[in-house]
Amino acid sequence: MLRTLLAAALAALASPALAQRLAAHVDCKPTPHDLVYDCRIALMEAASRKPVAGADLSLGADMPSMPMAHNVKPVKAKPAQTPGQYTARIELEMYGEWALKLNVRSPVRDVIVRKIDFREQP
Amino acid sequence: MDEYALGVLTNVGLLSFLALSAYLLLVAGEMSFGQQAFFGVGAYAAGIGTAMWGLPLPVAVLFAMALGAAAAWLVGWPTLRLHGLYFAMATLAAAEMFRILFELVHYQRAIDGDLVGPDGTQGFRGIRWVLEQGIEQETFLAAVWALLLIVLAAFAVVERTRLGATLRMVGEDPELAAVFGVNVARVKLGVAAAAGALAALGGALYAHHNTYVEPRNFDIMLGVHSLAYALIGGLGTALGPLLGVALDIGLLESTRVFQGYRMIVFGGLVALLLIVRPRGLLDEVAVSRVAAALRRRPTA
Amino acid sequence: MVVDLLQNTLDGLMLGAAYALLALGFTLIFGVLRRANLAYGPAIMIGAYAATWVHLQFHAGFLVIALVTIAAAMAAGAYVEQLCFAPHARRSRGAGDAGAVAAMVGSFALWMQLEEAATLWLPKHLYSFPPLYDGPPIVLGPVTVRVEYLAMLACAVLAYLGLRQLLTRTRFGLAVRAVVDQADAARLAGINVPRIFMLVFAVASALGGLAGYLIVATHGQVTPMLGMWSTLKGMIAMMLGGLGSLPGAVVGGLALGLIESHSQWLFGPQYRDLIAYLILFALLAVQPSGLWAMLRRSPAPAAP
Repeated sequence: MLRTLLAAALAALASPALAQRLAAHVDCKPTPHDLVYDCRIALMEAASRKPVAGADLSLGADMPSMPMAHNVKPVKAKPAQTPGQYTARIELEMYGEWALKLNVRSPVRDVIVRKIDFREQP
Repeated sequence: MDEYALGVLTNVGLLSFLALSAYLLLVAGEMSFGQQAFFGVGAYAAGIGTAMWGLPLPVAVLFAMALGAAAAWLVGWPTLRLHGLYFAMATLAAAEMFRILFELVHYQRAIDGDLVGPDGTQGFRGIRWVLEQGIEQETFLAAVWALLLIVLAAFAVVERTRLGATLRMVGEDPELAAVFGVNVARVKLGVAAAAGALAALGGALYAHHNTYVEPRNFDIMLGVHSLAYALIGGLGTALGPLLGVALDIGLLESTRVFQGYRMIVFGGLVALLLIVRPRGLLDEVAVSRVAAALRRRPTA
Repeated sequence: MVVDLLQNTLDGLMLGAAYALLALGFTLIFGVLRRANLAYGPAIMIGAYAATWVHLQFHAGFLVIALVTIAAAMAAGAYVEQLCFAPHARRSRGAGDAGAVAAMVGSFALWMQLEEAATLWLPKHLYSFPPLYDGPPIVLGPVTVRVEYLAMLACAVLAYLGLRQLLTRTRFGLAVRAVVDQADAARLAGINVPRIFMLVFAVASALGGLAGYLIVATHGQVTPMLGMWSTLKGMIAMMLGGLGSLPGAVVGGLALGLIESHSQWLFGPQYRDLIAYLILFALLAVQPSGLWAMLRRSPAPAAP
């Protein structure tokens, strides 16, 4: 009994260290509104590339050239049809290169940064 | 707490370290365009410390502060005889040199099958100590502000001592200070090193909050902004720089009242404010008035 | 090898002409007002943006575009002067200049304001600008020289000579030199000092507008980075040559161009800026009065 408990405890402690690392692909498409983008996020485990479904994640943004100066309201991502995919609509303050910050609270705590250059439509 | 509020409060706290760094130099009579370099040194040093050398965050932060002080001393020593715009441009040149050095540094190690470390212009990803320790955003925010309060307390203590008076005297009239036997050069170097350590502290915390830094983060805009925050908030008290940061980031930016026009409003307000209050909102006159009023209050 | 050296030197001088033009305006303001105007570049940007807008709306000729640039830059400059420099003029101007930091930070605030106003006006990252010259560059044997850059060099020299004439041969110039020497004495002698400051600012802004027009027309495009770039290059060139010295501005500008051109050739673009900043830092540490003073082996005068 004790050994099973110990094994379970060790397993519980061990797994977060591996499952901790997540990776993501982010693709943002412009909407009819200026500076508003619909982003599609594919969240997966970094090592196995397995999609991570049912995650609690939000999308925020900061500008690398003016850190901490723009405080874009983080938006909670909604799950899409495919498991492991999420959508979020984000409103930026100006055109340029932004560092999108994916803040994952569950199933594991992680932060992923993806830089995207947002250019105005010609 | 709402994630947005968390982010704004953390950013205000982090920027305050940088603004305090500029404030310290302003009080000692010098205007620096280059404190962002030490913010960057702190960020990179602490990031390397935790992500690549496996140090716990407190140790990495101390390492970062020491490096920040050393870097500031390296810049301060050749520029001792410079004043005003000459000194400002020298600090700007030095800061840009640091930023370009960040662009040139490639120092990576394979950890858990991933390449971790600064990669030139690509930046430094994977500063994940806070995440790996399971520290919540609220806890980190509390830690940032706790450290900030300790720094403010230190400033308050120094203001009351002889050291504080010496600093202000060196700032206002260095010749007079020299007549009083103050080693102006040594005071200025000490102030430069302390300001460097302070900026580095902010940078170290910023790196761990963001998990990612790149050389572009530490460009001239960041430095001149923090100088402006220090001056607008007021040079009479260490609360001044915080006020400056809070007014821009906390009030104007977050309330989104002036969406898209924030700089037009803030810039205009700052220029107007400086006409009537060239030493900021909480300048020495205002602070002494408040202190006098507090002294006059009858004891309960 | 020698051809490369020659070409790089020529390129450096051409590039330096733009920097010299920018530095002339900066140094005029610093030499007379003893304050640095951080909103100088953004005022030039307003000029360039106004001209771009006119170009987009009306497709006007190059003379109109140039005049619009200068006029708009002067208007922006007047705004900055009234809000940031005139109010602080009376504050103590000796050692421990209390008004200087406030004026400078005020000008930084207006820098931010003008930049945001410009990007709100014309939000795109790039606008094409009517080029100064459409033809091929001049080929002198193994080296090539672009005509637009020659025009810029000529303008820089003419601007310097024109300023010298203005300051040494006119009553206005006499008043300016009196104010530079002893502002209080000049006031007592009946010179309207605030008006002198305003006029000097106007001349400097006009120079900036001219510089901006030439730079933007040479590149054929305008970007929002123009404000920061002009301020930075202008100030570096000014410090290299010698703060507050008009010949220093020209020397500093040309020197910066040469340093950048050769560094880029020898070490690549990343090291180009590093070396320029290193030289500036070293110069400030050792000989803050600048290159012109070094060349003349005497301290640089406050005005030429």
